[in-house]
Amino acid sequence: MYMVYSNQTGVSTRKLVISSVKKAKYLKDRRRRAVLLRMECAFDAQNLISISLRKIQSSRTQRGGIKLHKNLLVTYVLRNARQFYMSKNLSPTPRTQQYEDVAAARETQEYLELTGSFTELANDFYCNFGGMDSDTWHCGAPQQHSSCQSAEVAHQDASACAMVPPSDSDLMVSESFWTCADKPAWESHAPSSQVNHKTVLDLDTHVVTTVTNGYFHSDCCAQPKQSLGAQWYAKKRRIDTSYHIVEPEFYLSDFGPVPCKRLRTDEDSHSDSETLDSTNISNLISVLGSGGLSEFVSWQHTDLEQIFASQTISLKHTLLTGSGWTRAIEAF
Amino acid sequence: MRLAQFLNATCVGHFESVMRGEAGTREFLKVECKVFTPVPSNTRSNLHSSTSHRQSEAAGSATTVLTVQGLIPLQRPPCPFPWTTIMAGVGDEIDEVQWCFSQVKGAIDDDVADADIISTVEFNHSGELLATGDKGGRVVIFQQEPESKNQPQCRGDYNVYSTFQSHEPEFDYLKSLEIEEKINKIRWLPQKNAAHFLLSTNDKTIKLWKISERDKRPEGYNLKEDDGRYRDPNTVTTLRVPIFRPMDLMVEASPRRVYANAHTYHINSISVNSDCETYLSSDDLRINLWHLEITDRSFNIVDIKPANMEELTEVITASAFHPNQCNTFVYSSSKGAIRLCDMRMSALCDNHAKFFEEPEDPNNRSFFSEITSSISDVNFSHSGRYMMTRDYLSIKIWDLNMETRPVETYQVHEYLRSKLCSLYENDCIFDKFECCWNGNDSVVMTGSYNNFFRMFDRGYRRDVTLEASRENSKPQSVLKPRKVSSGGKRKKDEISVDSLDFNKKILHTAWHPLDNVIAVATTNNLYIFQDKLN
Repeated sequence: MYMVYSNQTGVSTRKLVISSVKKAKYLKDRRRRAVLLRMECAFDAQNLISISLRKIQSSRTQRGGIKLHKNLLVTYVLRNARQFYMSKNLSPTPRTQQYEDVAAARETQEYLELTGSFTELANDFYCNFGGMDSDTWHCGAPQQHSSCQSAEVAHQDASACAMVPPSDSDLMVSESFWTCADKPAWESHAPSSQVNHKTVLDLDTHVVTTVTNGYFHSDCCAQPKQSLGAQWYAKKRRIDTSYHIVEPEFYLSDFGPVPCKRLRTDEDSHSDSETLDSTNISNLISVLGSGGLSEFVSWQHTDLEQIFASQTISLKHTLLTGSGWTRAIEAF
Repeated sequence: MRLAQFLNATCVGHFESVMRGEAGTREFLKVECKVFTPVPSNTRSNLHSSTSHRQSEAAGSATTVLTVQGLIPLQRPPCPFPWTTIMAGVGDEIDEVQWCFSQVKGAIDDDVADADIISTVEFNHSGELLATGDKGGRVVIFQQEPESKNQPQCRGDYNVYSTFQSHEPEFDYLKSLEIEEKINKIRWLPQKNAAHFLLSTNDKTIKLWKISERDKRPEGYNLKEDDGRYRDPNTVTTLRVPIFRPMDLMVEASPRRVYANAHTYHINSISVNSDCETYLSSDDLRINLWHLEITDRSFNIVDIKPANMEELTEVITASAFHPNQCNTFVYSSSKGAIRLCDMRMSALCDNHAKFFEEPEDPNNRSFFSEITSSISDVNFSHSGRYMMTRDYLSIKIWDLNMETRPVETYQVHEYLRSKLCSLYENDCIFDKFECCWNGNDSVVMTGSYNNFFRMFDRGYRRDVTLEASRENSKPQSVLKPRKVSSGGKRKKDEISVDSLDFNKKILHTAWHPLDNVIAVATTNNLYIFQDKLN
């Protein structure tokens, strides 16, 4: 890997972790100091991940809409921090016994905090639900978007529709999903009936895409009812009651290499989703992890494109009306 | 003598008389001459020359008067710095430009209303007008008073000329999103008649404003009174012809065109073409070409949106038209690359004609490398040969003929490299600093934190850090250069990195196109500085 972080090679100049730096000052053993530095970097990585997630979360409620550029940069930081953490985990550094407990305790605490924020974030972003546990998930609380309000309603509808024993799942769930989702305003917020499915409607190109366990594959054009049978495949959804408390190791172990987006066939996705499911990880996090962190960015942004079907040609409008929505009405 | 040599090397044949000083003496004569560039070639006014010179006579017996007159040539000399300050002297002491406080505009309170935060600053092509836009959607235009006859050396002050609400907050019902009214950019159109035109844009809509003066009004209507009330036609017994009478000067701003609904993402730049008929607007993923007269359609000339949004790796951060070539424009990306496109090649300029990128230094790799390499501003030089890009920590000057690396790189605040983590936490790392050239492309300027701004002299390889604060706000008081100490030892008068105020940032600066006058915007105040004239 090409990652060479400046902190690893020299004296840490970060002021973030103050207490451990002060401790280091009293150390005479350079080896111990080096170990602490590496743990600081790991600590920073975790810290960075949680900070980044919080930033993404708060950007949803910011005035003026989601800033694509800033979110993209935040996902890069997330990716870098994640990669660093993975590389550190894969090549464990020798820890002296003396400091291991301290570091481990700190790390565990950070994990819990991290997963807490992760779960909130997942809640917010994915409006996820599931059969029996639909009440544990909800479509993220503080939303200004009325679209998400309606999504929440639809979410409940869909969950009602999907209230079948998991073993029965096949196409029926997806059909109900589409029925509930048949509203243009929040089409891209449509909750997925299967937690590892996510629907994205790009109104720029009128292509419906589904994301399965983080793997992206595009469906046909937006003729929802017709294309359903062929494209959607249901999965037996094992309700994992523990998924809202994510084991940190699972969280980390799911992180693959740098997000590589691939177009996969249905069969591949199907089998992959089964294997991933079996690792008992929260499906949201798996979507978030393996599919690339830019995923949720894109998910948010497809709904930005509702209106501008052909962006260069627009209607005549008077000077006085802010005609942002006249075109929208025209489009529908 | 050095002066003669210098002149011969740079501006051959353009100076009328030079008198030689006495060589060999200890006392020396310092002469500083400035020759300004002509107004841009696309205006109709004649080329004019403007020289100012100051001379200081050495103490002592041998004094020599040096007279220099300059005439702006019709063709620019081939050397890169044709118009720089010309120094002469037997000694080697070179006078630096001294910057003085001139004016400050804006409220004094520390409690800054969100709507008063200045978001853009722009001089017009003559430098007579200075426009600022703020977060509340307002545009304020300042006009420079003509030089008074009493003090010919003093430049006029900038006073408020016009204020208007350019953009209002909008609400997009379908997305349930508010569209901010913050003015992202203002660009002046070259002046063609008595009125002034500017383009102002927020995140989604661009507007063309006409600013005109009215100093007469018609009086003597038959059917209505002077105050506007309508008369009863039955009471009209005589007929008269309305005539124009002078009135107090009124400056009116009226929106002439509204260019809307062309951008899905947030508009970050607009740039007027040198043909004065078209302009481009860019958002995160697309660039559109507009005709100034036509509001209901625009051409999409760049589209970097991937078919699959998951594959998005970079966005457009800034774009600009070439100042002389109407077919060339550049756009910068969040990955630190600049693409130059030629509109003659194809209708959709997704394929660049030139690609400027400097390979990343692997030693500086960190978690935040992608953020610090993202370009926040790109600007062509007035000559059109160079362009300047600003990323978070540095300024790079590129020669358009060399794509592999910049010709010059200036570190603006390298001491922040070790602070990137904290800056990420408090969101300062996402600040988008702008940069600007001076009129003759010899000095570049940009802002920093703690209300510091920096100038880099390309010719003399000098840089200076100055501060915009109310403490140095006595008229004509010279600004003292500041220094930030990055190491452990802090010298007197230096500021340590930890005591910098990261809430006081200078993101927007502008340089008068023809003179050494600069406008520097702090959070809610606009400072105007000028160089010291004797």
